Amino acid sequence: MRPRIIWTIFRKEITETLRDRRTLLMMIGLPLLLYPLMIIGVGKLAESQEEAQEARSSRVALWGETVPKLIGELQRSDSFTVEYWTGMSSALRSDLEAGKLQPFLTVVDPKKSKGDWKKRSSDIEEENPVLSAARSVISNRRVDAVLVVWPGFQRALLEGRVGRVSTYYDSVREESQKARERLGDALFEFRKTLIAEREKGEGLAEGFSLGIEVLPRNVAPQTRRQGQILGIVLPFTLIIISASSCLYAAIDLTAGEKERNTLQTLLCAPVLPQEIILGKFMTVWTVAVLATLANLLSMAATFVRVMIPEGQLSLSPSTYLVAFLMLLPVTFTVTSVFLAVAVFAKDFKDGQNFLTPVLMLLMLPLGATMLPGIELNAWTAFVPIVNIALLIKAVFLAEAHGELVFLTLASSAAYGMLTLLFAARVFQREQILLGGKESIRALLGLRREVGAFPSPSLVLSLFGIVFVLAFYGSLFLKNASATQVILLTEFGFFLLPTLALAFAKGFPRRETFALRLPRWKGVVAGTMMGVTAWAFVGGVLIRLLPPPESLIRAMEKIFLLDQKPVPLWIVWLVLAVSPAVCEELLFRGMILSGFRRLGMWPAILLSGLLFGLAHSSIYRLIPTFFLGVLFGYLVWRTGSVYCSIVAHALNNGVAMTLLHHKWLGSLLGADGVKYLPWRLASAGTVILLFSMWLISTLPKVNQDSSLLPRQRRS
Amino acid sequence: MLEAHNLVKRFGKVIALDGVSLEVRAGEVVGLLGPNGAGKTTTLRILAGILTPSEGRVLVGDLDNREYPLETKMKVGFLSGDTQLYQRLNPREVLFYFGRLYGVEESRLRERVESLIAQLEMGSFASRRCGTLSSGQKQRANIARAFLHEPPVLILDEPTASLDVISGQFIVEVIRRQRSAGRAILFSTHIMGEAEYLCDRIYLLHEGKIVDRGSLKELLDHSGCENLTDAFLHRIQHESRGFSTAS
Repeated sequence: MRPRIIWTIFRKEITETLRDRRTLLMMIGLPLLLYPLMIIGVGKLAESQEEAQEARSSRVALWGETVPKLIGELQRSDSFTVEYWTGMSSALRSDLEAGKLQPFLTVVDPKKSKGDWKKRSSDIEEENPVLSAARSVISNRRVDAVLVVWPGFQRALLEGRVGRVSTYYDSVREESQKARERLGDALFEFRKTLIAEREKGEGLAEGFSLGIEVLPRNVAPQTRRQGQILGIVLPFTLIIISASSCLYAAIDLTAGEKERNTLQTLLCAPVLPQEIILGKFMTVWTVAVLATLANLLSMAATFVRVMIPEGQLSLSPSTYLVAFLMLLPVTFTVTSVFLAVAVFAKDFKDGQNFLTPVLMLLMLPLGATMLPGIELNAWTAFVPIVNIALLIKAVFLAEAHGELVFLTLASSAAYGMLTLLFAARVFQREQILLGGKESIRALLGLRREVGAFPSPSLVLSLFGIVFVLAFYGSLFLKNASATQVILLTEFGFFLLPTLALAFAKGFPRRETFALRLPRWKGVVAGTMMGVTAWAFVGGVLIRLLPPPESLIRAMEKIFLLDQKPVPLWIVWLVLAVSPAVCEELLFRGMILSGFRRLGMWPAILLSGLLFGLAHSSIYRLIPTFFLGVLFGYLVWRTGSVYCSIVAHALNNGVAMTLLHHKWLGSLLGADGVKYLPWRLASAGTVILLFSMWLISTLPKVNQDSSLLPRQRRS
Repeated sequence: MLEAHNLVKRFGKVIALDGVSLEVRAGEVVGLLGPNGAGKTTTLRILAGILTPSEGRVLVGDLDNREYPLETKMKVGFLSGDTQLYQRLNPREVLFYFGRLYGVEESRLRERVESLIAQLEMGSFASRRCGTLSSGQKQRANIARAFLHEPPVLILDEPTASLDVISGQFIVEVIRRQRSAGRAILFSTHIMGEAEYLCDRIYLLHEGKIVDRGSLKELLDHSGCENLTDAFLHRIQHESRGFSTAS
């Protein structure tokens, strides 16, 4: 692929896209209008509604005994208009006046209320005539609430007993809720005065009846409270609006081009389909990024203009910046998905029909992120799009942990990459580009091509699948023993998909997996490397980004195989030989083979990076990336995966032996220390360097047609 | 200059081309004639490298277009009657865009674009957005796009379709000039007058097979007709009745 061509396509596409009024409107116009309208408009409406409600007095029907003191309390402010006996039938009124009615019991579910005192104070009453009458008068909007003063109230107060009143209200009606709140406040005041009078009358100390006073205090600082509000609303709004803004561009650049017959012109020019899709992808992504930026700026401006004077919502510019940066992977994935889907459409209308359901599918899980209790954890960190929404939520609440941020970003990158590769693949199918159909098998590249070699896109897809499979698999194996988890992960999630793919595609096994017998020098170098690499990692590299204590404990638990005594050969089999065989066949076999056509260092560095990412921890990334590069170099120069299997097995085996036999570790001064002592690290480094030199002196392995995939001139 | 050997193209179970072979030499205009659905567009798309054949091969110069897709596309200029231009760019921008894709050097490109604008009399609309141009103006801009990188081979798929007589005639004259410049031109049309006037040799395509070929005179002799329209109809009817026509 030629960056100059991709850039030319991008420049043309972006010029054309930015000349389109509809895209501009969706990208910049809508966000600029939306937030002021939404926040100022809706805010003002709600405000004026609330003001109107405050200004209006609550109409309360008073049924039952007339208690002057209570009425006085209600009329102390202008909040109430009391209407006597409104909505009460004469029969019921005479029953109440005659004292035939008593307070009704509330409905209590014994199962639910068990052990939970809150549930016992249910405000749902069994059906009764008073309830029906109250419901009728409130729902007819004749009054906002009903206050029933039950027979004997006054006498009970005089005799120092409990007087009972009931307030009937409709929780769905705003005015009724307000009336209930006001009644609650007035009755609380009435009760306070009554208690104070009683205490005084009995000569008791003030607060005697109260016992304790609970003073609830919110410890969440202002920024956290703001973060809670924004963290719920912001990710959903931002992601959906960014996605909607690039939806039009994605359709225009694919189905639109087909409809206008301009795609054919481009296809007869000397450009590769991958260059076209990348140029188009960059354009749609730019639109999505610009829309996100416009959204954030408009949102920030609206908050500054509207919220800050009232001191409600103010966020630092860095929070907006972090939110913007985190939205980049989302827009990346959304853009790739949109392009891959839109290219199937024959025309613009078809494109809209295809992409609207995709947008809906995005909205459903995103809506779930707004629910309380849905948080970023090891599970949700792997759910595409949703993970970023939850990460933004966590950032606003200042609860984002390094490990989860890493997992979220790594998995998002993997999803983005997979969807982009799929989009590129779709774009290579002439049938689809020219308006025809293509079988899913051909589209996913599952057709058997005997003698072909893995391609970079195929091994990247394999890695994406293995990465997600291994992660979710390990969560399902939570209750399994460490030995079971390791063996199942290595053989089931790493090796099995790799071998299945090689078999399904008919790749030549010897060349793909570098299954060549090595020269003796290669074996010696691999052995030296394996015996010393761990020392360099544990003594030098680990100091760059020291892992937290919790990770060290978790790793130790796994490496010590649940701390059960096991013979050394089992330790070697589970922790050294199995990972060495499975991981080397995957990373230095299939994956390195797929990257070979990119040249030596890009292939080694990329396969090393994927090896590092597969260890699912930011703290293990640097050490495992380094080991991946070492092993990759070893395989490249020796042409044999057996060398790296030996090196990998020895590296793990020696480290695990020291961990399981602490006396050996203490002999070397490596037991109970955070980092390996410099003495040991330096010795290891020297031998490691010597092994590297030895490898570099090896004659070049025949990097000819038998090892390199067939070079295509394109 | 341009050779097709035994081209077969299958779309699922449908066989669109069945063993099509043809040759176009430098400095000649070769016509590809056939009724709707004969496979003309598919043949031309395969020759232009837009479609890959299920069997057979295409040579541009000495290069196979599947082995050397980019190099062979550099040697071909493709123009179709239904090809549109980018609505929101102007013809000058379209030419610069394609010039860069074809790797024409920037200084040479500027010179070439201005010379084509002058040659094809596009000065009055070269800076107007393509969406606002008439069909004839659009087709001139399209021709400029196809000729921009000075390809030795031109593949023209019904280039005068949907144009009025004046615009059509203008394009026919442009094609004649390109022949004089030594280019190999493969040309499909429905207009028999154009074919008679332009083509040095003609291939008749029917149901994915070449059913006749030769110069205008040879085709008339084969059919015993006096003009190309009659010769064409005679041959197609003959084929449809199921006669064997190996030629």
